[in-house]
Amino acid sequence: MSRRKSEMRKFNWKHELKLAPGYLILSIWILFTFVLLGWVFAASLSTTKDIFSGNALKFPTGIHFENYIKAWTSQNVSVIFGNSLFYSVVACLALILVCAPAAYVLSRFKFIANRFIQTSFVSAMGVPAVMIVLPLFSLIAGMNILNNVMANRFTLIFLYIGINVPYTTIFLLSFFSNLSSAYEQAAAIDGCSPMKTFWLIMFPMAQPGIITVSIFNFINVWNEYFMSLIFANSDRLRPVAVGLYSMINAMKYTGDWAGMFASVVIVFLPTFILYLFLSERIIAGITGGGLKG
Amino acid sequence: MKKNKTMIVCFLLPALVFFILIFLYPICRTILMSFFKIEGVTDAVSKWSFVGLGNFNKLFHTSLFVTSLWNIFRIWFIGGLAVMALALLFAVILTSGIRFKSFFRAAIYMPNVVSAVALATMWLQYVYNPRFGLFKSFFETIHLDKLAAIQWTDNEHKFWALLIAYCFGMVGYHMLIFASGIERISSEYFEAATLDGAGKVKQFLHVTLPLIKGVFKTNITMWSVTSAGFFVWSQLFSTVTADTKTITPMVYMYMQVFGAGNSVTEHNAGMGAAVGIILSLCVVLVFTLCNQLIRDDDLEF
Repeated sequence: MSRRKSEMRKFNWKHELKLAPGYLILSIWILFTFVLLGWVFAASLSTTKDIFSGNALKFPTGIHFENYIKAWTSQNVSVIFGNSLFYSVVACLALILVCAPAAYVLSRFKFIANRFIQTSFVSAMGVPAVMIVLPLFSLIAGMNILNNVMANRFTLIFLYIGINVPYTTIFLLSFFSNLSSAYEQAAAIDGCSPMKTFWLIMFPMAQPGIITVSIFNFINVWNEYFMSLIFANSDRLRPVAVGLYSMINAMKYTGDWAGMFASVVIVFLPTFILYLFLSERIIAGITGGGLKG
Repeated sequence: MKKNKTMIVCFLLPALVFFILIFLYPICRTILMSFFKIEGVTDAVSKWSFVGLGNFNKLFHTSLFVTSLWNIFRIWFIGGLAVMALALLFAVILTSGIRFKSFFRAAIYMPNVVSAVALATMWLQYVYNPRFGLFKSFFETIHLDKLAAIQWTDNEHKFWALLIAYCFGMVGYHMLIFASGIERISSEYFEAATLDGAGKVKQFLHVTLPLIKGVFKTNITMWSVTSAGFFVWSQLFSTVTADTKTITPMVYMYMQVFGAGNSVTEHNAGMGAAVGIILSLCVVLVFTLCNQLIRDDDLEF
């Protein structure tokens, strides 16, 4: 509402001057953010020597794209990047298949445990990871599958799905509740079974909500750290967050700072680019859905 | 009706299986574990020995754990005050009718979508760097040599360095929540207040603040939940294992159960579970207090 107003408003010096302190404060904060990102990006295209002599922004020896090539090939970044991409995409798809039907049923049908399940899911969103990690570890280690690469990958994806089930379900639940039930009634009159109605009519209609929640899930899984640290058993399986951490520790000894900043940029880019294009949608998702309760 | 029943079961089952396996069963078992002494995490129940509240008692007599609790309390309290103040300030500015609102909003929220490891690395290796860091060169340029000389990552300043970097990333999220709360207030209230001659400050104190009480509750709860899980920042900012300046309960639990163990005398997974219980109780306590102290039911708008 107020956004419309401010965009259509004619430029008025007196009015803008009153807002000047506000502009100033926000600009300083954002300037800092840009300097932070900009410098790291510049440093990733520079050399370790130039960084240490304070010339990262001047590029005295030209632009060094080879930092990226080196990080990608020799520093394992391609492996952790591929892992994270695989985990995130599979987990996102599975989450929708698991949560959308559940959310729909919870939003549409009255049955005994309905309220109880909803409350449990909302409370689960506030459970610290410490409360679940020990039994999960003993369960998974007890099955003796952590030495098998495929099984370990599957375990990680299973965990990523599991920890995001409550949030995804609650988010989609509020989305389905806002869809009119007139469509289902029409479908029922035409003799369409409720299950078919869901997959053919309601599921496609929920697409905006499904896309928004998938973006959140992608970002969450991409950035997940604690579970991956405990359950990803080898270098070949690590996702970006854990991989980057061990790479930075190694970098302290090799001293390749430009390469380190290049790796940081590679890890940070996917969610950043996603955000550049979808920030409005992400922000609407935070302030609109998922916060009820 | 019978058809609906099969549908309800089929549609709910996968989500419920995940919920039971990942949340319900582990939570119950963690609660049980906290009353036992357990040498290895993977030990069968038959090997557990019951100690009652012994684990909790031992934890509160372990100075490293008490330090970690003190650290997380300071992060929660000092960081919380700073983040809430900044977030509220930004939210008020955003909703005051400025131009480029969506740009400002998006730019301030941005750190939240970035991997915490990447963000913490930027702060550690660039902003706080003693040789070419942003703080050093900035303070040198404006001739505040005392500030420029600070070694941000030494033992004396490490905690504050950690807190500043962490809070920087968190402001955006809480700002969004505040801003959406303020936007929900009908503009009639502000118009009426303006007609009655109330200035901007008075309007903020007597119209905005009382009407966003519920939003405060949301923000404080969310802040407490994220604080309880404080782990990755602490791990990145510690230079040694069991760094007393930056250790938090999560890190302590990780060391206790999974760690190499040079700083922890005995391995006891039961104590790790007890750490989880203590953290959860703290979150529940904050949540209950918030609900008791901030009642927004009597205010309808």
